[in-house]
Amino acid sequence: MIEIHVPGFFQRVFSIFLRHQKCYCKHLFSNGFPPFVEPIVFLAAIGIGLGRHIDNIAGMKYSQFVASGLVASTAMFTATFELTYGTYVRMEFENIYDSILSTPISIFDAFLGEILWAGAKGFFFSSAVLLVISLLGFVNSPFCVFAPFIGGATAVIYGALALIITSWVKDINTFNFYITGCCTPMFFLSGIILPINELPIIFQKISYFIPLTHSVNIIRSLLLGSFSYSVFYDIIFLAVFMPLCVSLAILCIKKRLIV
Amino acid sequence: MAQIVIKAKNLSKSYNGFNSVNGIDFEVESSQCFGFLGPNGAGKTTTMKMIYCLSPITEGELKIYDMTPEKCAAKIKSIIGVVPQDNNLDPQLTVGENLVIYARFFGLPPNLYKPRIKELISFMELDKKMDSPIRELSGGMKRRLVILRALLHNPRILILDEPTTGLDPQVRHLIWEKLRELKSSGVTMLLTTHYLEEASQLCDQLVIMDKGRILMAGNPHKLVAEHLSKYVMELSLNGNLCADQFRFDRPKCYTEVYGSRCYVYSDSEQFLSLTAEEFNLESKLIRNSTLEDLFLKLTGRGLSQ
Ligand SMILES: Nc1ncnc2c1ncn2[C@@H]1O[C@H](COP(=O)(O)OP(=O)(O)OP(=O)(O)O)[C@@H](O)[C@H]1O
Ligand SMILES: [Mg+2]
Repeated sequence: MIEIHVPGFFQRVFSIFLRHQKCYCKHLFSNGFPPFVEPIVFLAAIGIGLGRHIDNIAGMKYSQFVASGLVASTAMFTATFELTYGTYVRMEFENIYDSILSTPISIFDAFLGEILWAGAKGFFFSSAVLLVISLLGFVNSPFCVFAPFIGGATAVIYGALALIITSWVKDINTFNFYITGCCTPMFFLSGIILPINELPIIFQKISYFIPLTHSVNIIRSLLLGSFSYSVFYDIIFLAVFMPLCVSLAILCIKKRLIV
Repeated sequence: MAQIVIKAKNLSKSYNGFNSVNGIDFEVESSQCFGFLGPNGAGKTTTMKMIYCLSPITEGELKIYDMTPEKCAAKIKSIIGVVPQDNNLDPQLTVGENLVIYARFFGLPPNLYKPRIKELISFMELDKKMDSPIRELSGGMKRRLVILRALLHNPRILILDEPTTGLDPQVRHLIWEKLRELKSSGVTMLLTTHYLEEASQLCDQLVIMDKGRILMAGNPHKLVAEHLSKYVMELSLNGNLCADQFRFDRPKCYTEVYGSRCYVYSDSEQFLSLTAEEFNLESKLIRNSTLEDLFLKLTGRGLSQ
């Protein structure tokens, strides 16, 4: 019988990760620009404009309140774009997956690698925002160094959710419904702009099922260094939701690609 | 006896009820070049995709070195090099990066893939393009790069789905030479092509498929010898010439007419030239019958769809 060398699981997943990282880093300046500049623009607008009309919220300045939320939302958006438009283009226009899947890489390896890449991007984006807002003086606690990890987890979850959408989208414009119709409302309902307890009761209930809400809660606690028991539930929510989303996402994309 | 590398039994594939491959059987021996011929839509690419585990089989049995695609996909894919029908290079990466990333997918370490890339890239005469983005390559260069990519991990089985489409004659001959070399070093090859000359040059065995079934199987030269007369005269029919004139009283020949072209087959070259003289044919061509004639005879000279 012949001798066959098959690369190990981690090696396979990492090789996919590497491919995405290589593509991303080719345009490092233009790709790395948004997470540093976006929070500045956003906070300048809020701080100079809106902030003057609002008193302290939850014991902090309004711009500080928003700033801590941005660390999470930036991870959500970057992962969402990567696994909607990014994946769709690779799948339908560039046929990347055909070439990947004719190597020892399985569909599970390929998309796990892709979701982890989204997670890494989320980590990087969260770190960038964190850096900017700590220079602006919005961070009070050394626990903030853990915030990018929550950003990464958020990106993994939103990457997986995006992949589920991508697995049944037939036309690239359909993503508008998901991004404008789902992600933008999630942004507004997750306690970034307004504290959850000031929302109408029905939205409060909905917000509990939005992963971003929990990420925002955890990150805000880390940045301020003040923890309540609810953070514990937030962590559990993310920890349970993440593997569920990832498995479902890979199942869905497998159905789409393997015919 | 040579080892059987690929064995298919009643292999079938259907896409939503449409049978693309309809119960085919074949066996490929070690270091053989095995051809799949057939008109567009015959099911050649589908068969190949089942072999390299991209497309799950619907029915039947498929074994590659005694491994089945359901159970051992990663192992099977590690020993197969694939040249797909459509180039699927990574447009975001340069030529060199494409190769490095692809080698990584096979788990090759840098000390293995670096010299390998260097050797192959100069063989394919792409060294000057190492740092070019994919979009700056010509169609033929892309094709060469895809072939090169399939060879990176020293595959034992090479799947070539129309490998030389779009290549200039020099490069095509170069690639044929390389393929022969690979074959003699023990690589088993599966080849589809629409160039019948390529098939008769390279293939030891081939099947002619149509509509998901195998019409004929065997060695190309033997098939031609068995099923066709040795010579054929090609001529175009014009006003004062009628095909029926050839059909009657000539038991030693066989005539086919397609539109205004007429093909007269015979085992005697002399007979054909006498006939040509008799009818005062000027624009005639007498040649050996080829695989192409057999292919067209089997699958019809018109478009079947
Ligand atoms: N993904 C798919 N979904 C549905 N039908 C498909 C799919 N892929 C191929 N087919 C159908 O299967 C049949 C065989 O296709 P295949 O690509 O195997 O042909 P082929 O022999 O490679 O033809 P060509 O010479 O044009 O490459 C065709 O009728 C095609 O329409
Ligand atoms: Mg084909």
